[in-house]
Order: sequence, then C-alpha cells, then structure tokens
Amino acid sequence: MTNKHLLIAVFSVCTASFLSCTKEPLNNLTPQESRIYVTNSDSTVNFSNYKTYSISDSADVLNNGQTHKELTAVDQAYIDAVNKYMQARGFKLVNKNSNPDLGINVNRIYNTATGYYDYNDYWDYYGGYWDPYYWGYGGYDYYVPYSFGIYQVTEGAVSVDMLDLKNANAKGKIAIIWNGLIRGEGIFDSSAADASVKALFDQSTYLQSK
Amino acid sequence: MKLFKFSFLFLLLALGLNVHAQQHELRLNLHYSYAMPLGSFKNDVISNGSPRGVTGDLLYGINNKISVGLGLGFQDFYQKYPRDLYPTGNHETTSAVLSNSVQIMPVLAKAEVHPFNGKRAAVQPYISAGAGLGIISFTQYLGEFGGSDNSAGLMLQGGAGFKVPFNATGSAGLSLGANYNMVNYKKNGFDNFNNINFQAGLYFPLR
Repeated sequence: MTNKHLLIAVFSVCTASFLSCTKEPLNNLTPQESRIYVTNSDSTVNFSNYKTYSISDSADVLNNGQTHKELTAVDQAYIDAVNKYMQARGFKLVNKNSNPDLGINVNRIYNTATGYYDYNDYWDYYGGYWDPYYWGYGGYDYYVPYSFGIYQVTEGAVSVDMLDLKNANAKGKIAIIWNGLIRGEGIFDSSAADASVKALFDQSTYLQSK
Repeated sequence: MKLFKFSFLFLLLALGLNVHAQQHELRLNLHYSYAMPLGSFKNDVISNGSPRGVTGDLLYGINNKISVGLGLGFQDFYQKYPRDLYPTGNHETTSAVLSNSVQIMPVLAKAEVHPFNGKRAAVQPYISAGAGLGIISFTQYLGEFGGSDNSAGLMLQGGAGFKVPFNATGSAGLSLGANYNMVNYKKNGFDNFNNINFQAGLYFPLR
C-alpha cells in the first residue's frame, strides 16, 4: 500500500468515525431532561375567584379508548403532589359533596401504536448482514415466506384536569379551565411525581386563589 | 507591531524557497475541521462550536496557479439548552430541554488559487471559492419529542490559508486554512446555517 492509499484509508476511517460520532440528541438526555411539561389554560378565567377544590380519590386510566379507575402508588403520589401545590397556592381541599369550586382529575394515558415492517424492504436493506456461513450453509440465500411483521409501541402520559364546578350549573357544562400534561421517561415512577407536578404549577403562576 | 513582524516573516517564507508548479495534477486535500456558527445560526439555533468535522477537496491544476474541482465535507453541530419555557400554542406553555442538531454536508464546485505558486516559496498562501449545495439535516427536540428535516440549500464558500510543502516539488504537504460558509436554510422561521470553519490537514497528488 502506498502512502497515498494509506492516507485515503486513514481519511475514510476518520470520516466514518466522525459520522458515527454525530451527537445524537436522544442519547444525550437524562430521564429528567427527556420530560416535557405542557400546560393549557382558559385565558378568560380569573382563578382567584375559585377558593375550594376537590380531587378524585383515584386516577382515570385511559388505555387505547378504554377507561377505568385505579389507585396505584404512582397515582397516589401524583394526587398527593397536586394537593400539595394546590394548597400552596391558597386553594382549600374540601369533600366533593361540599360544593367545591374546582374538581381535579388525575389521569394516566396510554396510546399503543401498531405498525408493520415489510420484510421485502427489510431484507433488501439488511439482508447482507446475515451470514449463511454462520449456520454452516454457505452460499445459500435466505428465503422469507411471509411478507411483513407487526410491532407495537406504547407511549404514556400523565395529565391533570381542572374542572370548573362553580359555574357548571350556570353554563350547563363542566369546563376544563386548566390542564397539565407530563410526558417523557420515568413518569410512571412515584419519585417523579412531585417534581413533575411542581413544574406544572411553576409555569402556571396565574393559579392563585388569593 | 507584532502583526507587522509576523506578516513580514510570512512574506519572507512565502518567497523563500523554490516550489514547482502543480499544473495538470490531480490533488486531494484532506482536513480535520472545527466550525463555529455565525449570525442567526449562532443566535437562534446553536451557539457551540463543532469539533466534529472533515473536509476533502479533489482538485485538478489547470495551470500553475489555479486548481478546480470538487469540495466535499461533513460537519456536525449540536447543542442542548437547559430547561426553559416555550409558547407552543394559544395559552399553551411547554417546559422542556431543547436539543438542536444540525449536520451539513457540502457538495461544492471549487476553485483554489495559489498566487505565489511557481515562485520560491516554503509557505504557499492560497485563496479558494466554492459554490454548490449544502445537504442539511436539522433535528430539533423538546425533551425526547421532536423530529428531523432533511433538505438541500444553496451553499457558497470563500476561503484562505496556506500550505507548507514537504519537499521541493511541492506536490504534498501540510495545509491550514479557514472557510466562510454561507448555507441557505429558509424554513420554519430559520434563515441560514452560516458558519466559519478552521481546517488543518494534508494535501497530496493522485497520479
């Protein structure tokens, strides 16, 4: 190999190394950094007009169109955190039979996406990676008798809904006047509940009863 | 005064030794590249410099001063911003760590001029210009949620530097320089990915 060829080989290796060293954003996130906290509010509402609230004693689990109530340790941690930060903002927790101004639901949401991959494309793309010699049948081609495979991905979120019970009768509906959504890694861990709910309240400074 | 002394020394070196012309010779320039974003790229997308880059120029000497050919490369820019609040809709606020990732792969028609080539020179200054496409991959994430946009935009390049030949023929040696890269990217409120890159490497003939 001449020096020229050696240099080209070195450069090719370096180029490949640089390409493989591209900083992949998702590989550089901690679970905390992966999370997003999204809040929506009704801008016409003055939250200082609301004094009392009640919170559901369990979580609504919304799983691919099916709903049921459940109370796990994680759900309880989120309910406790919402209570903590609502009361820190001056709202008073009352029994749901005491005509609270606000009702709060804590929800766990799961969405499962189903997709398929086409084996024909798959083998066109990656077929060369499988080595028939490994199995002792060198020279043989692989044959895939079926055309596609199925995969499923489940994604989860926690949401907190604030319901306007004070004006429900007057408006003839229960309006959701504030919503907080938590998505990302590790959110179904009890230890993530307090910091996540705190983040929702921190970015909703208008949530004040006084 | 120091700058004057340095310039004078550089001129002496440039005119000091004999280096042969590189007429009708196919030459490869290979560089490691460090790049810094400029302007709105720096202010709105990524302010960090990128130590992850390579460039390669395949040039043919049409006479002893001018070479033309193809300029290729790769530069990876990345920055993760601390958690902050972003308006993401009507009365909707999102708290997230923002990650921006931009890869630029230039494919340029390029010309390089060595004004002192053929003269007695141990150090050969050069200027260069390129025009073509910047193939761009732009990925933006809020937390772990986001996506990529792949596109190609007009790219213009102007550069300068100097070369230090290994031997009297001057056909191979060290190369140091910098390029100003104008990379057009007009999408989603962004304007360009202009940057300046500093490069160091080798050049050698392909015969």
